[in-house]
Amino acid sequence: MSGLFPNTLHVARREYLVRVRGRSFVITTAMLALAVVGVTLAPTILGALGVADPPQVAVDVQADDLVADPVVTLQAALLITAGGGADPDEAPRAGEDARPRVIRAKDPEAAARQVRDGELDGLLTITRDEDGELAFEYLGSASPTNQTRLIVTQAATAMAIGDRLVRMGIGPEESAQIFQPPIFTAVAVDPDDSRDEEDFGGAFILAYAVVILTFVAILTYGNWVAQSVAEEKSNRVMELLITAATPRQLLVGKVLGSGAAGLSQYVVIVVAAAVGFLVSEPVSRALGVSGQAPISLPDLEPSMILSFGAFFLLGFGLYATLYAAVGSMVTRVEDVQQAAGPLIFLAMAGYFASFAGLNEPDSQWVAALSLVPFFSPYLMPARMLLTSPTVGEVLLALVLLAATLTVALWIASRIYSAGVLLYGQRIGLRSVWRASRVSR
Amino acid sequence: MSLVVDSISKRFGDVVALDDAAFSVAPGTIFGLLGANGAGKTTAMRIVLDILRADAGRVTWNGTENTALPRRTWGYLPEERGLYPKMLVGEQLEFFAALYGVPRAAARAEIGDWLERFRIPDYLDRKVEELSKGNQQKIQFIASILHDPEVLIMDEPFSGLDPLNVRLLKEAFLEMKGRGKTLIFSTHQMETVEELCESIAIVDRGRVIVSGSVRDVRRAMGRRVVRLATDGDTNDLGWLEAMPGVSVTARREDYVELHVPAERDPASILRTAIERDERVTLFEIADPSLEEIFVEHVGRRAISDEEEHLAASGREAGR
Repeated sequence: MSGLFPNTLHVARREYLVRVRGRSFVITTAMLALAVVGVTLAPTILGALGVADPPQVAVDVQADDLVADPVVTLQAALLITAGGGADPDEAPRAGEDARPRVIRAKDPEAAARQVRDGELDGLLTITRDEDGELAFEYLGSASPTNQTRLIVTQAATAMAIGDRLVRMGIGPEESAQIFQPPIFTAVAVDPDDSRDEEDFGGAFILAYAVVILTFVAILTYGNWVAQSVAEEKSNRVMELLITAATPRQLLVGKVLGSGAAGLSQYVVIVVAAAVGFLVSEPVSRALGVSGQAPISLPDLEPSMILSFGAFFLLGFGLYATLYAAVGSMVTRVEDVQQAAGPLIFLAMAGYFASFAGLNEPDSQWVAALSLVPFFSPYLMPARMLLTSPTVGEVLLALVLLAATLTVALWIASRIYSAGVLLYGQRIGLRSVWRASRVSR
Repeated sequence: MSLVVDSISKRFGDVVALDDAAFSVAPGTIFGLLGANGAGKTTAMRIVLDILRADAGRVTWNGTENTALPRRTWGYLPEERGLYPKMLVGEQLEFFAALYGVPRAAARAEIGDWLERFRIPDYLDRKVEELSKGNQQKIQFIASILHDPEVLIMDEPFSGLDPLNVRLLKEAFLEMKGRGKTLIFSTHQMETVEELCESIAIVDRGRVIVSGSVRDVRRAMGRRVVRLATDGDTNDLGWLEAMPGVSVTARREDYVELHVPAERDPASILRTAIERDERVTLFEIADPSLEEIFVEHVGRRAISDEEEHLAASGREAGR
């Protein structure tokens, strides 16, 4: 076996340049970047268009013996979810318009009209029935998932309970005590784990992002590798290549070149996302809209980022190597998808397993699967974000992944060395293996 | 000191591609590999190049086994032409040169030189897919020699070329020979072989039937060809056919061609003609042409193949 360099780099360089200069690459990358900028700016733009206006609700109180003012209760509930402080006197962050408004409906019929015209989000009518119970009627969105309606429902429940307590003879002070949240302290199993709830929200989003990005990279850029090999085979340039370089050099060069092109695309998208985030604040200020609080991502230690990179690269390498072998086995480029079926299935299995795993990151099966080479690129980074696997586990997963990659490389170059010279309708794995030989 | 193909055999499943095939090529010569389609020429070339491994036998170049030789020893022009269609000619040639370790500057100079020689100097920045088949073939030839290989192996290099390009490629062959290179190529065009090759091998069904210098191969046929023209009636050839061993193989408008067995002196035909008072206008003694030799060795099988094929299609039609 001869060394990998410098031919691997020549092959990788050609692959990269051809891919990056291709029209489809340029168009796709530009469109993805635009889409990402659009998504990051969407809350601001929607806010400016008035779609995301703060809720405005009118209250028609027909039961006038209420202890607490329903306007104040509702206002507080809406404020908390809008992200502002519960204190109505607090100075608004971006203009008075941005605050939710609850008004007492002086003319219920006019208020109802305003709701129908879209000037108000809803009208809450509070009455007392013959049993003395409070009854609520909400005119507004019929959707049970409508945010404003959900908040109003919660506030109504609190009002009803408060009212019942008063009728049972419990004073306002005592009832305030009843509504106090209990003392609840969560103690993490890992004493070093000092992440708070907000961190976990960010970690969850990041874990999803890592899983999705890994999956898309494997499917898209892995497919590039297979396509490119099949193309070389079908336009017969392969015979020149195989006399000039070893199968291993060609194979690794292809994986590196396609991978680098894919990474370039990712970099463009990430930069676009960053630009979108950075621009969204000044833009929203200029438009006079309150920008949504940007998601705070958890602070990642360099060692964590490093191991994410390692999992991503090794995982992509493993799948891409096998994709190259698949490409060498087909005669026509159109057959690549079908031949890659088992590989796609494997990648999908890991993807869906990690989605199930994100909801129970501490379970045994997730811990076990996160060590298995074809799944660890998804599951181990997700586990690292959501729980705390030991350093030993992480290293073991990396070592297993690297070992599998080495074996895959050996098998794939054998398949490749035979596959690229075989032409026919259906080339089975067995016939390729029989025709294969140990590469130089 | 030469390229020695030492009794190599290769099977693909049930198909015997090469069966104990052996021949040798002297350095600095041009060698022709002749054979019908599917005879095993391409497989033999691939084994020499170490793209395929033989089941048995070995290949040596100047005493070193081919598995131990660096890849840049060989220059290969595959039968199936293939280049990257979307890449520029210059970029593409530089890429292949780089794979063989040729520095870019040296490759550029050589590429310019060869494009000039092939009379396509302004194609450097064209995409390959914009070129005609013949010009693509020239580019591929250049790709196979940029690294200055010692041995050039060309699978059907002349197929699909127009006469002008055939001429240019032949000149390129002679240029490479002049540089001391050894050339091996396969072809169906016997005139080209006669024009270029010092020695040949005829391959049939994976076996090397004949090999050696072109002259030896011709002599080994054990007969000679006589071309005879007289003023008389060319249809009255009974006297020729009456001579033992002599057979008329072709009647042309202005001469007849005769096969004369080795034991008969061709001059005896001329003597007989003069005795018969024929007015001889042409008498020529020649070795049998390679085409005849090829047809004689391979043709029988080719014909029986055709019969089988006809019989098969007859059965097909009868159903």
